[in-house]
Amino acid sequence: MSLRRSRLMSTLSLGAAAAVLAGCSSGASTSDERPTSSPAGDPHTATVTITSNKCVADRASYEAGGITFKVSNKDATGITEFELLDGERILGEKENLPPGFAGSFSLNLNPGRYEMYCPGATTPRVPFTVTGTATSVPVTDTKALLNQGTASYGAYIEAQIWFLVTNVQPLVAAVKSGDLAAAKAAYAKARPYYERIEPVAESFQDLDPAIDARADDGLAPTKLTGFHRIEYGLWSVGSGAGLAPVADKLASDVGKLQKLATGLHYQPAELANGAVGLLDEVSKSKVTGEEERYSHIDLLDFQANVEGSEQAFANLEPGLAKIDSTLTDTISTRFAALDSLLDKYRDKTQPSGFVLYTALSRADVTALARSVQAVAEPLSRVASKVVNV
Amino acid sequence: MTEATPRSGPSRRRFLGVALGAAGVAAAGGAGFGVARATEPSATEPTAPAPSDQVPFYGEHQAGIATPAQDRLAFAAFDITTTDVHAVQTVLGSWAAAAARMTAGEAIGPTETAPQAPPADTGEAFGLGPAQLTITVGFGPSFFDDRLGLARKRPAALADLPTFPGDALDPDRSHGDLCVQACANDPQVAFHVIRNFARIGRGTVAMRWSQLGFGRTSSTSTSQETPRNLMGFKDGTNNLKAEDTAELNQFVWVGNETDQPWMKGGSYLVARRVRMLIESWDADHLADQETIFGRRKDTGAPLTGRSEFDVVDLSAQAPDGSLVIETDAHIRLAAPSSHGGQRILRRGYSYTDGTDPQTGQLDAGLFFIAFQKDPRAQFVPIQRMLGQHDLLNEYIKHVGSALFAVPPGLSEAGDWFGKSLFG
Repeated sequence: MSLRRSRLMSTLSLGAAAAVLAGCSSGASTSDERPTSSPAGDPHTATVTITSNKCVADRASYEAGGITFKVSNKDATGITEFELLDGERILGEKENLPPGFAGSFSLNLNPGRYEMYCPGATTPRVPFTVTGTATSVPVTDTKALLNQGTASYGAYIEAQIWFLVTNVQPLVAAVKSGDLAAAKAAYAKARPYYERIEPVAESFQDLDPAIDARADDGLAPTKLTGFHRIEYGLWSVGSGAGLAPVADKLASDVGKLQKLATGLHYQPAELANGAVGLLDEVSKSKVTGEEERYSHIDLLDFQANVEGSEQAFANLEPGLAKIDSTLTDTISTRFAALDSLLDKYRDKTQPSGFVLYTALSRADVTALARSVQAVAEPLSRVASKVVNV
Repeated sequence: MTEATPRSGPSRRRFLGVALGAAGVAAAGGAGFGVARATEPSATEPTAPAPSDQVPFYGEHQAGIATPAQDRLAFAAFDITTTDVHAVQTVLGSWAAAAARMTAGEAIGPTETAPQAPPADTGEAFGLGPAQLTITVGFGPSFFDDRLGLARKRPAALADLPTFPGDALDPDRSHGDLCVQACANDPQVAFHVIRNFARIGRGTVAMRWSQLGFGRTSSTSTSQETPRNLMGFKDGTNNLKAEDTAELNQFVWVGNETDQPWMKGGSYLVARRVRMLIESWDADHLADQETIFGRRKDTGAPLTGRSEFDVVDLSAQAPDGSLVIETDAHIRLAAPSSHGGQRILRRGYSYTDGTDPQTGQLDAGLFFIAFQKDPRAQFVPIQRMLGQHDLLNEYIKHVGSALFAVPPGLSEAGDWFGKSLFG
């Protein structure tokens, strides 16, 4: 959609609508205040200055249609962000604006009363008035975009769980047949489907430990259930002995997960939190080599966590980009950098498709950890942007 | 400050169903946990005189150089992980804003944020006050390589340090594109800086190494006593002092002689992690320890005097005709008269990082920091001589090394670290 302002619109009369002083300190604005100075500047360009007291716009009101916000921070050391709010909904924003820095974004706005929000200012909210007639350009429906995203994420989750259930079957069969090589290959094949959807599984309290608990969760390896009991048997003990009932229980547990997760509806903020949760998983147990301590196929889980996180984000991205395209660009770029870093460790000769964790140097691990943190930091801010849409 | 003014418009947090009382208890200095920002004076309004534990952040020179040395240090070197110049500038700008807040004892951002967003400030310094915090930022030689296209901005004085005799440098504890020196009288206040700077920089800069210093080893003011180093000696009695304006101009602050105008008013920071071989030192007898330093251990007096500040007489002879202060004693080799009158401002800290996993020996020593106008004429010749001859070398090992160009002070909010460097 074009955000270029229309020349036609800018010729509309300004005085037609009530204006609110941009400098008015009260959020409870009254409709009959009149500007004390004559309007200056372009009614489709809001030049906003952030000060420690509040955000100040250059006009008392702006005209409906495309409005570009040019925001600069003069001297407010405690403020680095500007948002335009409709009620509690963030319509657009700019982050990373310390004193001496400027940025811009554009929105299509209908006539109405909005608020400029500078978190940290003495007066954090200042009215922002748009007058004129409703814009012919459709106003961005961020909510619809985000709802499409959450629905599509739900479908992704269901598909991954279907693959999980399907790929646990050959693992059960291989374990029962005593074919160690086949069982190891089947294990590596099934793992990523679980790692991609882990935050969803974690919402069903007992299922995640049953499926995925590790020895460092306080249990001896032989007391474990689920994937890592099988991993311990196959790699550490080198035998499938005693694993058949474990495999059967795993199959039954992933079946339960499938029933519970079918038809679920997600909130945009849940996707955002889940995406961060997956990267936390990577930082906590994959980048350290703890998750797959017997098989050392940690990079496979690593990649699956990242992919699950990226999927959640990708489903939010169209809506979020309407709110803050700089933020979505930053996150996308950093995900891409992480993906290409991971690609360096792909190894077709390994059943997991990646080099073993034990082959990584300390510098490799540091680079991977940094790359994950580089995504997680901006990603951690997403939930708050989409929670009130 | 007890009652927040009624909020204008619907509160974002109330909307989100989070009950946060309208009242907050403010600590002295206005940095209290949970204080509604709306009641705090703005940073630009005239405020009460700074409390005595606050060091001004803005000024001609960066604080943390000629500032009387605080008790604790948190130091970190960062590497740039991007080629995006704007991203680097934004981090430097955000660091400057955060530094202005932290040195005033304030949280770096609003303490009232949406429950769904991580807090702007990590919070561990809330209520601790400014604790005389200073934050000093510098640029390493590698900052000026081809990644950001800033090679032509590299000062000649920022020449890579040569390898010195006896260097046993660990690359993981050396060098870096950027440095941050945080000094305060509270260790948590100093640590808070490094942690939040690392967080602000994530994705653009990454921490390369860091060092905590638990006690100052230098006095940089005539009002301060000379502290003892971990060898038990007073070393650095004749350090440059904040009160010696003329000497600071002569030896510390970069002046018109620089080839890079952006460095005028700045200085050069040399950091060396000097591990002390504590166990061996502790087995050395007192007379030898005193010979090595050239000072008495108890009083700190030079071997040619009675009290700490007595003039060091390097030519004094014992009855048998030998020099009282040995040819290679530390005090002689470090003396300005051994280096054509050159001096440096020392601002180091004692450190310990536990035990050496291999030998079980203490990993402890001096995190040496020195500021100067031109390392090529000051630190380099001094260390070359010390590295070659110093009697102390038997008991120390230089295991980390770094050099940084520290730009001048920030003029006001809106200025940031190295702004004129990018101009």
